[in-house]
Amino acid sequence: MKNNTGFWDQRRGKIFSSKGGWKIGQGIFNHGYSMMDDFVGKTSYMQVVMLNATGRLPERPLADWVEAVFICLSWPDPRIWCNQIGALAGTMQTSAMAATCAGTLATDARAYGVRPLIEGLAFIQHACLDSQAGKSIEEIVLSGNRVRRGKPEIMGYARPIAKGDERIAAMERVTEQLDFDIGEHLTLAYRIEDYLATNYNESMNINGYVSAFLSDQGFTGEEAYRMYATLVSSGVTACYVDTRDKIPNSFLPLRCDDIDYQGVVARDVPDRN
Amino acid sequence: MSSSAKPSAQVRKRDDVYVKRTATRLWQELPAADNAYITAQSRCHGYDLMQLMQKRSFVDVLYLLFRGELPTADEASLLEALMVAFINPGPRHPATRAAMNAGIGKTDPGLILPIALTTLSGKHNGAGSLEEGMRFLRQQQRKPAQDTARQLLTTIEWPAEGDCNIAPGFGSHYSGIDNMSQQIAGHLLQMPAAGTALSWGQQFARALAEEGMGWLTTGIVAAVLTDLGFQPRAAAGIYQIISAPGLFAHGVELANKPMTAMPFIADEDYQIEYEK
Repeated sequence: MKNNTGFWDQRRGKIFSSKGGWKIGQGIFNHGYSMMDDFVGKTSYMQVVMLNATGRLPERPLADWVEAVFICLSWPDPRIWCNQIGALAGTMQTSAMAATCAGTLATDARAYGVRPLIEGLAFIQHACLDSQAGKSIEEIVLSGNRVRRGKPEIMGYARPIAKGDERIAAMERVTEQLDFDIGEHLTLAYRIEDYLATNYNESMNINGYVSAFLSDQGFTGEEAYRMYATLVSSGVTACYVDTRDKIPNSFLPLRCDDIDYQGVVARDVPDRN
Repeated sequence: MSSSAKPSAQVRKRDDVYVKRTATRLWQELPAADNAYITAQSRCHGYDLMQLMQKRSFVDVLYLLFRGELPTADEASLLEALMVAFINPGPRHPATRAAMNAGIGKTDPGLILPIALTTLSGKHNGAGSLEEGMRFLRQQQRKPAQDTARQLLTTIEWPAEGDCNIAPGFGSHYSGIDNMSQQIAGHLLQMPAAGTALSWGQQFARALAEEGMGWLTTGIVAAVLTDLGFQPRAAAGIYQIISAPGLFAHGVELANKPMTAMPFIADEDYQIEYEK
């Protein structure tokens, strides 16, 4: 209704939290739990991270599995785009927090990083429904996916720079150690990988593995994205520290001619009309 | 199949060819004769920076950076008017309040603006809706605005509560029509460089008025940037540049004040809806 401000008036000066909060003198509450009494010293940090992100407190093994993925995605290699932001921030003596946030923010991206998990989980969950409806692996791979350089482009398969993904074998060990079963989504993800390997010489990447595993555990893409919002942060910090503790501006210095200028030639500035 | 036999286990480098040097078409730095790391002359799209400083305005050079050519006087006037109009989202805006929270907490002043601009990147009437807004205008301005409005009004799912954004950059604002946005759009429309997108948007806004909707801030920015020929992908950042002065000014205004200079919601006004 036009200019009916009742909805806004009800919320003016008030906070309605669906999560929890600090009741001064009573405690700090989170989804009905007392954080100091129920969590500190009793649960892992990652269990609380997942509760904050999804509203559900997971069992410890699942939180440990999710935590292991953080190790897979936080490398101290400044050639990786987000990490290089940390290194560049370090070389100009930015603060550690600013550098870590800046590099982490870069993974809110389409080409790599955390945001693609949304599409990764959506793909494998949709593919699973297609499979249950009787579609073949070939039909799942070839229908509705972009084709680039003659290969179907599917989130969770293939990766920049390298073929194969050493992180999957590492996570497979974790899956086994923590006694998780291989569910319907992960089984299908492997079948898709086999098809892509045979026909296109491509394989699953860590996104595909994580997306399929988390789908088997009942997560949505948005929930995975929220849980992993800071997935690369530790690697960014490492790259920051590496350059912050060295001579300023000494990380990959560029001469003027190290930039390839391809624009127009010199011209005079006309006067303003 | 063991892990080592799986296709993903064979990790090898792709044969992608990466460039040796990053290329740019917009900025050239010529080295000093005695030190190749020191710039002796800078050019923006071929124009010497020192000459630009002497002859052109900040707005001219901003336009030049993104469009590759200097604007006409009319184009520069339109862009400058847009930049004045939206120099400050205002003290009630979520991005401004993010800046204020940073300021009052004595956050490093160099981080106030990134905090505010990150907040401004949101999709709800923020920079995150600009690209989509420009694409909407580019597509729709070929047909009558009334037809688009009629079609959208018949298919829209009205939200039970809150505002209705019928299209990127258009909708209701606090359950009413955003008065300032209508005034600003009206002024910009009178300027010589105003083009098809602004004109179409005005007709579209009029067609929505009966339903309590109209121009939103981001719709106007999208329309002006469309008329000036900016690329949709640049729109979010341009909007952030335009809004940055006001955001930072509000943040730094509070930076030397005590934390009691902003409200802290009382416990009785903090309601936890969750029940275990």
